[in-house]
Amino acid sequence: MNQPGLRASWPTRPAVLTDPAGVSERSGRVLAPGGGGRSAESWKKDIVRQLKHRDLSQHAMFQDLIRFYTQLLEKTSLAKGILSCSVRRPSSDSSSSVSSLLQRNNQLKKTTGELAYQVVELQQQIKIKECVLEEQHARLSEEERRLAGVLDARQELQERVGQVQEKNGALKMEYDVLLERQREAETRLREEKVKEGHLLEDMIHLKKQAAARMNSRNERRSRARQANLQKELQTAARSKVTVDSSSSAPTSRSTSPKKENHDPESTEKPHTRLFRSASATSPRILNSIRELFEKRRGHSVCSLEEDLMCPVGICVSARVPVRARQALEAHEQGINAVRFSSSSDLLATGGTDRVIKLWEVRAGSLTHRATLEGSTEGVTCIDFNPTGLKILAASYDKSALLWQRDESVPKLTLTGHSRKVTAARFSSLPHQVVTGSADRTIRLWDLHRAACVQVADVPSYCSDLVCSENSIISGHYDCKIRVWDTRTVSCVQELPAQGKVTSLDISSDHRQLLSCCRDDCLQLVDLRRWSNDRMCFRAEGFKCGSDSTKAVISPDGCFLAAGSADGAVYIWNFSTGKLETRLPDQHSSSISAVSWSLSGEHVVSVDKRGLAVLWSDI
Amino acid sequence: MADDKDVLRDVWFGRIPTSFTLNQDEVTEREAEPYYLLLPRVSYLTLVTDKVKKHFLKVMRAEDVEEMWFEYEGTPLKWHYPIGVLFDLHASNTVLPWSITVHFKNFPDSDLLHCPSSSVVEAHFMSSIKEADALKHKSQVVNDMQKKDHKQLWMGLQNDKFDQFWAMNRKLMEYPTEEGGFRYIPFRIYQTMSDRPFIQRLFRPVSPEGNVHTLGDLMKEMDPAALPNDGEPKRYQVVIHGIEPLLETPLQWLSEHLSHPDNFLHICVIPTPTD
Repeated sequence: MNQPGLRASWPTRPAVLTDPAGVSERSGRVLAPGGGGRSAESWKKDIVRQLKHRDLSQHAMFQDLIRFYTQLLEKTSLAKGILSCSVRRPSSDSSSSVSSLLQRNNQLKKTTGELAYQVVELQQQIKIKECVLEEQHARLSEEERRLAGVLDARQELQERVGQVQEKNGALKMEYDVLLERQREAETRLREEKVKEGHLLEDMIHLKKQAAARMNSRNERRSRARQANLQKELQTAARSKVTVDSSSSAPTSRSTSPKKENHDPESTEKPHTRLFRSASATSPRILNSIRELFEKRRGHSVCSLEEDLMCPVGICVSARVPVRARQALEAHEQGINAVRFSSSSDLLATGGTDRVIKLWEVRAGSLTHRATLEGSTEGVTCIDFNPTGLKILAASYDKSALLWQRDESVPKLTLTGHSRKVTAARFSSLPHQVVTGSADRTIRLWDLHRAACVQVADVPSYCSDLVCSENSIISGHYDCKIRVWDTRTVSCVQELPAQGKVTSLDISSDHRQLLSCCRDDCLQLVDLRRWSNDRMCFRAEGFKCGSDSTKAVISPDGCFLAAGSADGAVYIWNFSTGKLETRLPDQHSSSISAVSWSLSGEHVVSVDKRGLAVLWSDI
Repeated sequence: MADDKDVLRDVWFGRIPTSFTLNQDEVTEREAEPYYLLLPRVSYLTLVTDKVKKHFLKVMRAEDVEEMWFEYEGTPLKWHYPIGVLFDLHASNTVLPWSITVHFKNFPDSDLLHCPSSSVVEAHFMSSIKEADALKHKSQVVNDMQKKDHKQLWMGLQNDKFDQFWAMNRKLMEYPTEEGGFRYIPFRIYQTMSDRPFIQRLFRPVSPEGNVHTLGDLMKEMDPAALPNDGEPKRYQVVIHGIEPLLETPLQWLSEHLSHPDNFLHICVIPTPTD
């Protein structure tokens, strides 16, 4: 049978080509041999028909029957089952079926009872179990509450942690800021240190330069001195020297002591003896020694022949100055001290500008001679030694300085005071200097050793001192004047003053002591008389200008001179006790010191502006 | 189309009314009633006879029960043949219902295989499917299926689910269009009077020339004696699923639609009834 190629796929089946030859019926189940002329569908239809027939005959007819039979069978088996239970009784006795039923009934009742009892028991168990369950529920809820509480606490702690962390963060930030600042400060410090190093270097360099300059100047000066010395030696070797025995005129001194030893010595001895203590060495022995050691001692501070040769003059009469001969701008700043030297008309002024200027008084005018440097602060007091070759100055820089007259650089610096030195004087003993200071001590110095040999503590600020043979007299701010013994350096006498003692002066014969006080009074005390006669000198318009105003006694002892705050010089007559004269109009500021020349001719007053006025009677 | 689907349904839902009677020699406590059942043609005995067993166990003592086996008029019935094949072969022209005797003792080990559980049946069923597919598609289709697909086939058969079974089985009925059919047709020819259990050989659905083979071609090839010679009355019947398809029915169509669930075309050759 030809069949077109069909793909038999279930369930999608492509279109089946139908053979238009039709369907031929077939009866029975006889197979026709071959297959000529049959359609494609005939066999299929045949099969379908046969299947239907088969089902009809086999399946359908018996289906219901078997179903009902099975049901019946089940029912009977059930009934059998029920019956078989009862049939398990002794089945031979059928009449006892009723009694067996009753028995069964009883048994059933018993079982019912048992079951009811079991039920009750089980119910009780249930109740117990429920109780347990409730308890557990309660525990569970409590646990949950606890848990909630704990969670809250945890929450709180976490918040605290957060806060603390925040604070920490803030602190850390602050710390960082501070650290930053510290670093900056450190870098600045380092820079400053570097700068400091540089500054130090510069300073050291400058100081080195200053020292070098100083050294070179010193060298130059020493060389010059050497040269001078050589020259003078040469000239002196050739020339003859005549010694003039006039007391007022200073001797023309030469620094070469060789030829002059013997001549002045014999005439001057008695005078020098007045001012020398017995401890002075015998000159004769010294002369012989000197000849041996001359050259070496040429420049030493304590050259004995210089000390020996000091002609001291005595003023016969002082003349009251009338007019000013010269007003001179001596210093740039205020002048604190002025002193005539004891042997020549040499004037020394010193003040705030730290230098001492030496002036020669000639023909009524002051000519600048030399400048002595070396003090680092202002000069308070100047003193000449009896020969006039040494100049001692007390300074604000807590030291006293000693110069040789011709050297502008100090030979010695006496340090030891702890405050400003207010007064420095040559003692009556040779090679001894006394200083008084604001540190309430008076010190004695030895010039050989350039050291302080004695310290005397005084209860008050010492403002001035003077030396006489065997005693030192000091004036103090506690309105007392104290007299000290030179050898024991102990206070032997205390004299009261009218007020704060600003200055002291002693007369040439060492009999009278003049003290100038802050309450504008000058007091003159007779030292020889232990009754302490005192004369007081006041004047209208005289005012003590400062705590260090200096007043002087005239060399002949007849007059007192002092400078006033109003710029006038007041001169009192000692014998009359009255103001002799007043010299105004020269100074425009307060006068700080006056000095009377040894010849009595001149008075020099200096003031706080630096003006020095030379007065004389002509 | 619709006919084809009807054919498939009719084939699947075919039933045979059977009565099971307990063998008299079996020791029973009571007399056992026979049990009637509509057996599905396409299933296997041991799968569908649980109720039978339960019914008869009610009247038997437990210690007397061994493996259950069936016989018909003295012939032990092999459970691994489909039920329809057994009926067609042994009792197709007899009075319905089919009376099967149930035995619980004296299992004939020489004739029957033991079937302790349904998994044995499953294994036999699945192996048949695989064998069929080996012939049809060189086992490609069945090997491409997953295990769950195989399970679906078995479950469909076991639970009598037509749609579930054919959802999978249709894959096994497909063939590439250019081939015109399967590679070989899986079939078995059972004969009543034969030493051999069945005839199974390779047979193509389409001839090398392109002719479509029919049932007649197959029978001529395999069992020519079954076909009547010209002029002679028919001596044998070629029965499939209880019906006699025309000999010109194409073999390919037969294999697709009249195969058993195990994908084999089981053909019974029985002598024509003489009455």
